[in-house]
Amino acid sequence: MSAEPPKEPVKYVETTLRLPYHYVAGDWRATYLRALKDKRILGSRCTKTGKVIVPPVVASPESFAPCDPELVELPARGVVTTFCIVNIPVIGRSIELPYVAASVALDGAAISMYALIQECRPEEVRMGMRVEAVWKPDGERTGSHEDILYFRPTGEPDAPLASFIDRL
Amino acid sequence: MKRAVAVVGVGQTHHASRRAEVSIAGLVREAIDRALLDAGLEHRDIDAVVLGKAPDMLEGVMQPEQFLAGAVGAHLKPLIRVHTAGSVGASTALAAVTHVASGLYERVLTVAFEKQSEGNAMWALSPTLPFTPPLVAGAGGFFAPYIRAYIARTGAPPHIGPMIAVNARANAARNEYAHLREPMTIEDVLNSPMLWDPIRYLETCPSSDGACAMVIASEEAARRGPRRPAWVKGGASYAEAMWVPGRDQVNPKAGRLCAKAVYDQAGIRDPWKEIDTAEIYVPFSWFEAMWLENLGFCDLGEGWKIVDRGEQRFGAHLPINPSGGVLCTNPIGASGMLRLAEAALQVMGRAGAHQVDGARTALGHAYGGGAQYFAMWVVGSER
Amino acid sequence: MTARLRDVAIVGFAQLPVVARDEHRMAAEMLYPVVREALAQCGVERDDIDYQVAGSTDYMDGRPFGFVMALDVMGSWPPRQDLHLEMDAAFGAHYAWLRMQTGEIDTALVVGHGKTSEGEPARVLNLQLDPYYQAPLGLDPVSTAALQASAFMARTGTTDGDLAEIAARSREAGARNPDAQVRTPASAEELRRTPWAVEPLREGYLPPVGETATCLVLAAAGRAERLCDRPVWIHGVDQRVELQTLGARDLTRSASARLAAERAFQMAGLAAASDVDVVELAAATPVEELILREALGLPRRGGPVVNPSGGPLCANPLMSTGAIRLGECFRQLAGRAGARAVPGARRAIAHATQGHCLQQNLVWVLGTERRWA
Repeated sequence: MSAEPPKEPVKYVETTLRLPYHYVAGDWRATYLRALKDKRILGSRCTKTGKVIVPPVVASPESFAPCDPELVELPARGVVTTFCIVNIPVIGRSIELPYVAASVALDGAAISMYALIQECRPEEVRMGMRVEAVWKPDGERTGSHEDILYFRPTGEPDAPLASFIDRL
Repeated sequence: MKRAVAVVGVGQTHHASRRAEVSIAGLVREAIDRALLDAGLEHRDIDAVVLGKAPDMLEGVMQPEQFLAGAVGAHLKPLIRVHTAGSVGASTALAAVTHVASGLYERVLTVAFEKQSEGNAMWALSPTLPFTPPLVAGAGGFFAPYIRAYIARTGAPPHIGPMIAVNARANAARNEYAHLREPMTIEDVLNSPMLWDPIRYLETCPSSDGACAMVIASEEAARRGPRRPAWVKGGASYAEAMWVPGRDQVNPKAGRLCAKAVYDQAGIRDPWKEIDTAEIYVPFSWFEAMWLENLGFCDLGEGWKIVDRGEQRFGAHLPINPSGGVLCTNPIGASGMLRLAEAALQVMGRAGAHQVDGARTALGHAYGGGAQYFAMWVVGSER
Repeated sequence: MTARLRDVAIVGFAQLPVVARDEHRMAAEMLYPVVREALAQCGVERDDIDYQVAGSTDYMDGRPFGFVMALDVMGSWPPRQDLHLEMDAAFGAHYAWLRMQTGEIDTALVVGHGKTSEGEPARVLNLQLDPYYQAPLGLDPVSTAALQASAFMARTGTTDGDLAEIAARSREAGARNPDAQVRTPASAEELRRTPWAVEPLREGYLPPVGETATCLVLAAAGRAERLCDRPVWIHGVDQRVELQTLGARDLTRSASARLAAERAFQMAGLAAASDVDVVELAAATPVEELILREALGLPRRGGPVVNPSGGPLCANPLMSTGAIRLGECFRQLAGRAGARAVPGARRAIAHATQGHCLQQNLVWVLGTERRWA
């Protein structure tokens, strides 16, 4: 390596930082993820209001009361509450552009969860559209959020606005 | 019982996508030196330093206020570091106001910055984390559904977003410090790539390096200063939980409560009439229409009409973001403080080419998180 | 300089026992029970508290915006007046105290959270150093502490044996603290036999890596008496920072701790640190304790009881260590310190620090009486 000083003033210092982190999933989240492997979606019920939050949380952010550790299973179907059409490719996943990113309120859940909508043209997606989960095939699910590939329309009539206006 | 507090000096950097000719300390000092000069003060006159910025991953330095302690003139003074996501610049300024209003500090220097070109901003803001659903569509993908919901609720026509973006650029042309200053047309916006329907590329904020600083002072210290100060008539920072059933992200409750608290403190009953100009945090065009409603400038559903009628343009009834706003300049940690500082500049009569004539009462506003954090102030030219 | 200060007290404190790693709970999940408990101690609901401040850092969390998750477990609905500092929660408590002085709030919740076990503190905390000259040297906090220790020992003639004694005293105290992480006593001889971590600091003189969640409740006079049978009053407080650059300051003395103590004592009307009964120092090593003793004007030995909790040597959950010092003084003065109570404790000093080599320091003076003399 040369012992000569640089001819130009040093302008940049390139540093690559590598920091290992070993995260704790937390028992509630781990239970939720393991259930996804079995094609089950679990939520937690607020002990004060009875509302179900999915993914499950230890305490209701609304009431401040603890949630029941006995998690509740929800059907893998629900309604699109809001959505947008995205034109930016997804790194690490081959998705046709444009695609729909949506909030889906599962039947019985008090809040929406984030999901992709597929198997229809983006312009067909609408608030209130009824959808169902499409899972990764048996043997490919690992107990992660990606076990739900996306949601697709069920073909049922749209849900009325009143039924999901509180669950956006 | 509340002590009067004023802004006696404002400084900011020339914001750009990469300020490669200065170090982090150099960037911060550019703003601080200007603020002190503006206030006619020196470092020894400062009693405490309140610093704010957004995630430290953006620069790859943890708690950089520690290595900057000397550069910001905090040696042997109190120093705190605020972090409230996108609203941080504003909540930082308000924390400085608290320091002075407590009666313990006469003059407090507050500074907010981001030198996000140093790191990889996209990664820093949304790294892939285990056990966490990936934010596949990016920040815009998070907010775009709520913009769609706003459009659905109000029946707003599609040209409103592009109008806002065009107007922001026209404003930035009058602001020598702004990052993006080139004027553009509605056609330019419509021709730019659609990212997250309905947000197009030219309706999104840039990634900028920049810093902003202010000197906040007690009434006594303000009256001794060389210039007319901007009096802080009201200020508040609020936050709300994320996963609350029925939480309205189009018209967030934390925003409404925060605005109400600030207006009550400032004695404002009709913002549309009593506020002369407002710098509000608009990272994606449509938020301008949404925040006009959330901030009580008009009834729900009417925000887009104000834009349609051009009533928020420079020279019109209520100029919004005469500086060009976040759409034209976005060093994340500084953006919130820039809104509050620009509001102060307006009522101090020192906004140069983007001065709103006769501005005596101005609102500065910022938000962050999933529309969870809100921080705002009202400043006036009269005590 | 100012009008008379408003009397503010600590009226509640809760923490989880500090553990090396909580395998079952995320940071926010650790925080929830602690907030509930602190409020229960005060007999109030979340709606009765005017303000909330949190202390945590993104790099400790290993994610940007990690603190946002805490909102959901702190009762942030309806929306609350709120602030988050990228600092130990003790600094949040100072900010809450400042806010009380404005008269705008009467009560505040101050929380600290973060799972130190998820990252590798030695590598993460290296990033606190300036990225141009110091961080690239690979300095971790034990190394910088060792630099400071080496210089201090040279100036003062402090020996390895002196350090071992301090560490042994802390370990004995920690054994009586059910919330400490390290709860086995160890003799000075045993600790002197532990290998060097970075000379002159032995492994036996260094804190464990651990985590917890903390919650303090502060209240102004008029409210405090209703929330706590024995409120612990804040008589004085001050914080100061120094330059970071290790070569640019006298590492053997903490100028910022000295100044913060001077100002806090002045505010409190405290003539000398030795006039208090209990001192809780956020000293991560025995050398830091000696430096702080000197800065505060405490004798090297004897005087008030120092770190009856066991101190950071027995539990050092980053982001909460400073808050725990305050909380421990609260427990001592409010009669809630159980087996480790210092009999008749009526006045205390609590300390918090940030950064390498005691770069920033916060000093509180506390007492059982609303005002002292």
